[in-house]
Amino acid sequence: MRTLIDDLLAEQGRLQTPAAKFAEVHDREPDLADHYRSLIPLTKPGKDEQYAFEVSLDRCTGCKACVSACHNLNGLDDDESWRDTGALLGGEAAPSWQQTVTTACHHCESPECMHGCPVGAYEKDEDTGIVRHLDDQCIGCSYCILKCPFDVPKYSEARGIVRKCDMCHQRLAEGEAPACVQACPTEAIRIIKVPTNIPAIPERRRTEHEKNLFQSTIPNPQSGLPSSNITFPTTRYVGRKVPTTAVAADRDQLTPEHAHWPLVFMLVLTHVGIGLVGSAGFQPTASSAPLYLGTLLFNAGMIAAVFHLGQPHKAWRFFLGLRTSWLSREILAFSLFAPIPLVLCALPLLPDFPFKENVSILVQASVLPVGLLAVLTSVMIYADTRRSLWAVPLSAPRFFGTVFAFLLLGASVEFPLLRPFAAAAIAFKTLPELWVLRLADIDTDWSPLRHSARLQLGPLGNITFWRFALAALAMAAVIFSPWFALPLLLASEILERQLFFQSVQAPKMPGTFGPAHPTH
Amino acid sequence: MIETLLKQSSGPLTRELVQSPGSFGLGNVPTRLTPSSTTTSICGYCATGCQLKLHLDEEGNAINLSPQANYPVNLGMACPKGWQALDPLTATDRGTVPLLRDPATGRRQPVDWNTAIATFTDRLKGIQQTHGRDAAAFLSTGQIPFEEMAFLGLLWKSGMGFLHGDANTRQCMATAVTAYKQSFGFDAPPYTYADFEESDVIILSGANLAIAHPILWQRIMRNKRSPEIIVIDPRATETAQAATVHLPIKPKGDLALYYALAHCIIRDGRIDYDAIKNTEGFDDFAAFVQHRTPEQAAHQTGLEAATIEKVARLVSEPGKRVSWWWTMGINQSYEGVRAAQAMINLALITGNIGKPGTGANSITGQCNAMGSRLFSNTTSLVGGHDFANEDHRNKVSVGLGIPIEQITSDPSLAYDEILRAAEDGKIKALWVVATNPFHSWINSGRLSALREKLDFLVVQDMYHSTESAEIADLYLPAAGWGEKTGCLINSERRLAPIRPVRKAPGQALTDFRIFRLLAQSWGCGGMFQQWTDPEAAFKLLRDLTQGRPCDITGIRDYDHLDESGGIQWPYPESDADPHPSAERRLFESGQFYHPDGKARLLFSAPAPLPEPTDDEFSFTLLTGRGTSSQWHTQTRTGKSDILRKLYPAQAYVEIHPRDARRLGILNNQVITVRSRRGSMKASAYLAPTVQPGQLFLPMHYPEVNRLTHPSFDKHSRQPNYKACAARLEV
Repeated sequence: MRTLIDDLLAEQGRLQTPAAKFAEVHDREPDLADHYRSLIPLTKPGKDEQYAFEVSLDRCTGCKACVSACHNLNGLDDDESWRDTGALLGGEAAPSWQQTVTTACHHCESPECMHGCPVGAYEKDEDTGIVRHLDDQCIGCSYCILKCPFDVPKYSEARGIVRKCDMCHQRLAEGEAPACVQACPTEAIRIIKVPTNIPAIPERRRTEHEKNLFQSTIPNPQSGLPSSNITFPTTRYVGRKVPTTAVAADRDQLTPEHAHWPLVFMLVLTHVGIGLVGSAGFQPTASSAPLYLGTLLFNAGMIAAVFHLGQPHKAWRFFLGLRTSWLSREILAFSLFAPIPLVLCALPLLPDFPFKENVSILVQASVLPVGLLAVLTSVMIYADTRRSLWAVPLSAPRFFGTVFAFLLLGASVEFPLLRPFAAAAIAFKTLPELWVLRLADIDTDWSPLRHSARLQLGPLGNITFWRFALAALAMAAVIFSPWFALPLLLASEILERQLFFQSVQAPKMPGTFGPAHPTH
Repeated sequence: MIETLLKQSSGPLTRELVQSPGSFGLGNVPTRLTPSSTTTSICGYCATGCQLKLHLDEEGNAINLSPQANYPVNLGMACPKGWQALDPLTATDRGTVPLLRDPATGRRQPVDWNTAIATFTDRLKGIQQTHGRDAAAFLSTGQIPFEEMAFLGLLWKSGMGFLHGDANTRQCMATAVTAYKQSFGFDAPPYTYADFEESDVIILSGANLAIAHPILWQRIMRNKRSPEIIVIDPRATETAQAATVHLPIKPKGDLALYYALAHCIIRDGRIDYDAIKNTEGFDDFAAFVQHRTPEQAAHQTGLEAATIEKVARLVSEPGKRVSWWWTMGINQSYEGVRAAQAMINLALITGNIGKPGTGANSITGQCNAMGSRLFSNTTSLVGGHDFANEDHRNKVSVGLGIPIEQITSDPSLAYDEILRAAEDGKIKALWVVATNPFHSWINSGRLSALREKLDFLVVQDMYHSTESAEIADLYLPAAGWGEKTGCLINSERRLAPIRPVRKAPGQALTDFRIFRLLAQSWGCGGMFQQWTDPEAAFKLLRDLTQGRPCDITGIRDYDHLDESGGIQWPYPESDADPHPSAERRLFESGQFYHPDGKARLLFSAPAPLPEPTDDEFSFTLLTGRGTSSQWHTQTRTGKSDILRKLYPAQAYVEIHPRDARRLGILNNQVITVRSRRGSMKASAYLAPTVQPGQLFLPMHYPEVNRLTHPSFDKHSRQPNYKACAARLEV
C-alpha cells in the first residue's frame, strides 16, 4: 500500500519545471549594465595605454564578494578563483590600522610569467595590455608561478596546466565589466586605462618609491610585500594612505612551499651525474664505474624532469622561449649535454674508426664545459625569480657544490689523496646554508632570508637536521671509502634541495592571517 | 600553418573558459553553464535578505547563481556566502537516511523513515505519558521558512500537546524583540533599508556591517548625503576603520554612554517637543539622566567627556536625519534590552523616528529570525499574537481549526531555562531542528554533561556531522535551502519566497514534509489537513494576521511577492495597493502600538559586568563574527571550498601587540586561552583591532563557547556572549 512517506519522497524528488512558471525575458541588456557603466572605460586603450585594475582602499571593506564572483561567473573549479584577498596591518606606527587588499593578476607592463614561459604560452595583448594565458599551449612546468612576484598563476592538478585571470577580456570586449568589478558591493574595483611606458623602465627603477604598488608606501623591506620593480604591475591601489610600517597579515606564517619533488630529483641527479661523469676524465686507468653511475643518475634526473610537466608531450616547443626564458635555455643546455655521457660510455665498446682517439678526447674534454654551462642555466632559472634564497651567491654554491663534491668523490676512487678534498667540498657547500640559518634569531628584522631560516628550523627542522647529519656522516665515510660516502651524500643532497624549494620565501600579495586550508 | 602548429591558441582547455551570452539579463556566462531558465530565491544565511538569481538547466537544477539585480534589498550584489549558496548542498556529509542509535553498540545505524517516525512517536509519547507535557522541548532555528516554523510550533504545542519550545533566535535577537515590544507595544523594527541612504548621521552600535552584513554596508556607501558614520565598538573593526567617528568604548559601556548622551541632549534642550508628546515617561527619564553626566560616563565608557559631548551634538543636530542601528554587540548582552531601549529613547526624544533616514533600528542576524518572531509559536502565539490573551487564542483556534483547549495560555521556558531543566532532569527529551546548540550555546562545555541526562535526543538537520547530530539518538535527514520552498522575512520586515532548485540527496525530506509525517504518526494529522504544502500554509498564516500590526492579508500568493520585489509588513488587504512601494517604514503618523498610541521611554541603571576581570583572569574576552565568509557554527560555510579560502583554517585569538610583547607571545604562536569554564588552543594574531587588555575570538570555532560566561539579559533571556574574563597561557 502506498503510504504518505512514499508520496512525500516522490514529491521531494520532483523539481518544478521552471521555464513554464518563472521564465524571464531573453536577450536584453545585462541587468547590471547601468551599475557598472561608470566602472569601465568608455573607449578602448589607445596607443601607449592599457587596461588596468584600480582598487579603492577607501571603499574596500573586506566582504570578499569579488573572489566568489570571479569563481562563479568564470565557471572555475571548486576551489579556484582568480581573485584573492588578504590584509595589511598597520604595524608599529599605526597599531589600530588594517586594510583588506583584493588582488587579481596585475597585467604587468613587463610580465615575468611571459618572459619565463619556455613555450610562449603567455601573450600580452597589444590592444588591451591584458596578459593572456594560452591554456592549450601550456606545458604545466609551473615556472611562471615561480616567476610571478605576486603569486598569481595557479596550477590545476586536474588539467596539468596553469590558469590565471584574463581580466574577463571576453566581457570587456562586449562592453561588460569583469566579474569582480560587477560584483563589488561598494564599487571598489574598476577598470581604468593607464599609460604604458616600457622604454622608460631604467629611469623608473631609480624612482622606485614612487612606483610602489601601494602608492603611498615607501617600500619597507620588512613589510613582506612584493617588489613592483621587477614586473611593473599596472594595478593602482588608491585612496586610504598605507602606513610606512604596514606589513602583510600573513608575513609571519611559516608554511613550507611546494617541494616540487621531480625538480628536487632532476636537479640533484643531473648535478651528481655531471660531477661523476666529469670525474672520469681524471682517471687515466679508465675506471668506468663513476662514469657508468654518473650516466645512469644523470639520465634518471632527466626522466624525473618529465614528471614535473603537466603536459610533457607539448614540451617540444621549448625553443620558443629561448630569447627570454632560462628554462628554455636549461632544456637546451641539458639536451646538449645528454649525449655526452652516453657517447663516453659507448666509445670503448665501438670498433675503431678514424680519429677515434681524438673524438674521445674531444668528447671527454667537453664534459665539464658543457656540464657546468648546463648547471649554470639551473642556477639562473632560480636566480631569475629574484627570490632571496635563490640568489646566485646562495644557489651557485649549492648547485656547483654538488657537481664538485661528486666530482671529487668520483675522482678519489682512484686517487685516495683527493679524499680530504672531497670532504672539504662537502663542508664548503654547507657554509652558505649555515650562514642563512643563523638569521633565524627572532630579534633580527624580518627579511625573506630570516623567513627561510625560521622555516628550516621550525616546520622543516627534521629535514634540516638530517641534511646536515648525513653530510657529516658522508664526510666521515669518505675517509674509509668514497663508495660509502656516495649514498649518504646523495641522500643529504636530496634533502638540501628539498629545503631549497620548501624554505624559500615566495613573494606574494598580502594574504589572510593563519595557515590556509589544505586543498584537496 | 606553422604558426598554428607552434601556437595553440584554441583547443579543449581553452574552450572550458569560453563565454557566451547568458540571456535573462545576465550578460556573458561560461558557455557550459548557460542557463535554460532562471528563478529567484532569497539567500538563506543572514537577515539582510538578498535575492539570488538561480541559473537552471533544462531539468530545473541550479547550475550556477548570481545576485538578482533590481531587487530592492541587494541591488544586484551579494556577499560570498550568497554567491556560494549552492556549494553546501553537495557536501559529502549530507544526511541521506535517518540514523538511529543502537543501544547495544552505541553506534548510529541507518533506518527507514517508517522506523524513524515510529521511534520518534513512541519515545516521545512514552515520555509525555510518564513525565507530562513539561518533559520535552524543541530547540529550533531562524534558518527555515516561517511556514515550517509555524508547523513545528503548532504541531508541538497543539498537536502533540507539549509546552516548551524555543529557537536559536534567542541567541540572536530576543533582546530586540523585547525592547521593541516594551517600547512600541509590538515587536516592530520601524525602518526600511533606504534609511541607510537617506540618513545624515548613522550610528552603528555593536555592529560590524562591513563583515557581518556587507550588503547593508553597501547601502551606506550609496548614501549621497556625506553622512557622519559613528561606530561604537570596542574593536577597530573593518566598519570602524571606514567610519568617520570610531568610539572604542569599553566592553558593555554602551548603556552609560547612551544615558550620558541623553543627559547632554536634554540639558541643552536639543529635543523634539512634538515628538515627545507621542511618548510616555519623559519626565522620569529626564530625571533619571539628570545626574548621568559625560564626566561620570567617562569612567564606564573609557571615552573622554568631550568626545561624548561632541557625539551628543552630532546625534541631536536639528534638521539632520539621525538613525541608530545595532546588532549583536547590543543584543548579546546581559543588559541588552535596556541598551536597545536607550537608543530607542534617543531616537524618540530627538524626533528621529517615522521619517526617512531615521529610526532606532535592530539589524537582525538570521535569514528568518523575523519570521520566527511572528510565526514560530514559541514566545508569541502564532501570527503576532499573545498566548495569554483569550481573544487571540480564540482567533487562532478559529483561523486554523484547532480546538481552543489545545491552544495553551502558558508561556514556554526560554532556551537557557529549557537547558537548565534538562540538566535538572526535568526535561527528558530534546528535538533539535536546524540548529547546532552543542557548538553554539554559551558555556557549551556544560552541554556534554546535559546529553547524558537526556533520555532521547532527536536532531533534524541537513548534515549528520554537526556537533549536535553526532550525539543524537535519532537523526532525521532534512532537505536544505535550495531544496524547498517557503517564505523568509528580512530585517526590514520584507517577505519573499525561496524556491527548490535541487533535489534533496537520498531520502532527505523538507522539514515541512517531516512535520507532516510526524503529525500523521502522532495521530493529529487531521488538525493539519490543510497544511499540504508551504504555500497553502502561507495562506492560512496570512489570514491569521488580520488586524494585527503585522497584517499581511493583502498578499495574494508567492508570485505576488516575487512580482513586487518582496513585500514589507504591514500590508493589510483593506488598503493594499497591488503594487506596494518598494520601501516602507513604520510610525510615520507618530502612533505606536500601545493602547494609548504612545511609545514608552524605558530605562534602568547600568549594572556591573557579570564577570569582571581580576588578577587571575585579567583579559576581557570578546567574541563575534570572524569574516564575511563564515556563518555561525560553519555547518554550511565550512563545506564550500571558496569560502574556506577566505577565512583562517584554525582558531585564532586577536591580541594587542603590546600585551603580546609583555607576555612574550609571538605572532602565529599557538597559545591557550582559558576562562573559568574551559580552555582552548588558538594561534596568536597580533591584531590591530583589539585594545590592550582585550581578546577577541571568532565564534565559528567549536571550542570558543566552552569559554563564554552563562549570563543572560533578564528581560530577553538572551545570552551575554560578548564579554567574560579570560587569561592567556603560553
